[in-house]
Amino acid sequence: MRWELSEEQADFRSVLRDWLQERCASAALRGWLDTGDPGPFEEQFAAEGWWGVGSPEELGGQGGGLVELALAAGELGRAAAPSSAWMGSVLAVPALANAPDAAKALLADGITTVLAVRSGAVPALRPTVSDDGSGLTGSVGSVLGADRARRLLVPVQQQNDTALVLVDAGSAHAEVRPRALTDRTRTIGDITLRGASGTPVAADAGAVLDQVALRAAVLTSADALGVTERMLEMTVEYAKQRHQFGVPIGSFQAVKHAAAQMLVQVESARSIVYLAAASVQAGHPDAHLHAAAAKAQVTAGAAKAADTALTLHGAIGYTWEYDLQLYYKRAMLDRVLFGAPSAWNERLAAALDLVPEGSAAL
Amino acid sequence: MDFDLTDDQATIRKAVAGVVRKFDDQYWMEKDLAHEFPTEFYDTLASGGWLGITTPEEFGGHGFGITEASILIEEVARSGGGMNAASSIHLSIFGMHPVIKHGSEELKQRTLPRIVDGSLHVCFGVTEPGAGLDTTRITTFAKRDGDHYVVNGRKVWISKAQESEKVLLLTRTAKFEDSAKKTDGMTLFLTDLDRDHIDIRPIRKMGRNAVSSNELFIDDLRVPVEDRVGEEGQGFRYILDGLNPERMLVAAEALGLGRVALDTAVKYGNEREVFGRPIGMNQGLQFPLADSLARLDAAELVLRKATWLYDRGEPCAREANTAKYLCADAGFQAADRALQTHGGMGYSEEYHVARYFREARLLKIAPLSQEMVLNFLGSHVLGLPRSY
Repeated sequence: MRWELSEEQADFRSVLRDWLQERCASAALRGWLDTGDPGPFEEQFAAEGWWGVGSPEELGGQGGGLVELALAAGELGRAAAPSSAWMGSVLAVPALANAPDAAKALLADGITTVLAVRSGAVPALRPTVSDDGSGLTGSVGSVLGADRARRLLVPVQQQNDTALVLVDAGSAHAEVRPRALTDRTRTIGDITLRGASGTPVAADAGAVLDQVALRAAVLTSADALGVTERMLEMTVEYAKQRHQFGVPIGSFQAVKHAAAQMLVQVESARSIVYLAAASVQAGHPDAHLHAAAAKAQVTAGAAKAADTALTLHGAIGYTWEYDLQLYYKRAMLDRVLFGAPSAWNERLAAALDLVPEGSAAL
Repeated sequence: MDFDLTDDQATIRKAVAGVVRKFDDQYWMEKDLAHEFPTEFYDTLASGGWLGITTPEEFGGHGFGITEASILIEEVARSGGGMNAASSIHLSIFGMHPVIKHGSEELKQRTLPRIVDGSLHVCFGVTEPGAGLDTTRITTFAKRDGDHYVVNGRKVWISKAQESEKVLLLTRTAKFEDSAKKTDGMTLFLTDLDRDHIDIRPIRKMGRNAVSSNELFIDDLRVPVEDRVGEEGQGFRYILDGLNPERMLVAAEALGLGRVALDTAVKYGNEREVFGRPIGMNQGLQFPLADSLARLDAAELVLRKATWLYDRGEPCAREANTAKYLCADAGFQAADRALQTHGGMGYSEEYHVARYFREARLLKIAPLSQEMVLNFLGSHVLGLPRSY
């Protein structure tokens, strides 16, 4: 089997990387994080047209699919970019397949439209907002990018059915309370609706949320991959520079081997992330397993690699001034974002022919 | 707090190390490869009086505690004899505990002096294929018939049955379903392994091959009432008394194995040169060995605390279980790293670490798995709901 990025995909990655290096350099990034306003980044990102890459042209995107989105997520991770608005929105795209106007607003016009699902769990259809006839009421906690959104796509429990409803985040009946994360490069918000009105989109909500779960797994893994790549680069660079006992610390086997383990993590992550992206995009029968393996393995490995990077950096890695802290925290959040490895391992376990839980003889 | 060994304990450690020194790695390798019981070793310990270290003096023993027994067995394992050496004497050292505590005077007089002088080999017949660690589910049944019981059933993983004259046999005298409590209805015997009624079949296995592990098929075995240990129906409780000491002894065996593996690795790391310098100079090899030293030392402390508590008559289940868990883990890890340090040579029998490795792995499974230790700690110590 041979699989590699097409020339176009490789170009896309390298152009985006260059762009992020220029526009999302450490000083600018730290400025946005300190003011708590990533708006300038989001505006530039949308204005340059990056938003539409990886989404169908008929919906106002620029074509491509989940592999392109994974490439973008990886680059955003590698730059520790404030990408919650983008991530929250690309998760909403599958829900807008039959709502071309809303999709176009999102993909072409930069109207951030975030899918209202809890970011701390595997996305699933468990509506916490209901429609009692006098409007939408209920709340959804910890929604990635909700604080950045102009529109919210909310799973709603109707009388006999579930639906996805577009709600204007600025409406008087909608409140989004931003919440701070330890990883300041991402933001979440708690959504509360009190009799809000909205526009239902035509979609099978259950099927959409199933797809969203796989998308979230792939894109979070891709983010973690980018973060790990960057941490490895920083670590290797530092290990060559920093001298102790008259030699670069990178000449110590314990350091060298630990860095080599990080490289193994990066390479194995790369293999499963792109496989999972292509598999989910193509609707492969095992796509759910590929996505679960990616989320469980890659994000757990990234968190471990973050610890290694910190150890190899010593105290400087622990300082605020050094950028490793940004990546360390981002890796820790990726681990639990949209379901911890244990939750995704449960999905894998459920697909194996194991004895069903609770049936073992006592 | 006093971390010193007593004079007696220090003497025992030194003396045992001296006695077992003449059985070197070569001896144990040959016994292991030939699947041959280490009779010369066993006889030497017996004639030195070591088998009776914990047996009360009135039965010819020395009446020492589990601390001294654990020091003895640790030295035995550490000599390079590992589990082959330890298992050949393990039951003589402390296995008779239920008999000492609950057996009739007649039974004790008849058997214990012979345990001490080494002429009586015993094995422990508890585990069954259908029960595993769920001991109350055993089905081997002893049916009263006048002044005898007639026993039928199956046992598995019975160490040293081939070489044993008697078996400490746990049976049911009332079926599980007829017993008010699941631990009721079990009866313990110390009786002859009558080959006419017990078919003993060795199990082929990964290591510790100088001491057999066997399946027992028991068919109408007639056991005289005099061979019953204590009262009918109380057998499970008698066995339970011996479980913590067993855990501590096994921990000591794991510790000894880990120590000898580490010593062997250090020696090789200093001697073997590659790229023009001793391989022990590589951090990739030195750090894991140093880490193992730290882990073995830590595990040893818990073991010492456990035996100290037991010998003072205090509760020690938490410490005994923890000691088994940590020693088994540290011992296996040390053996694994010793093998890695030896590179390809580690895989040959000639360098002995392969033997240590196979034997150390056993201690993560036997006498109970690491997971069962966690079950114990989780439910009985932490107070979480029983998970199994």
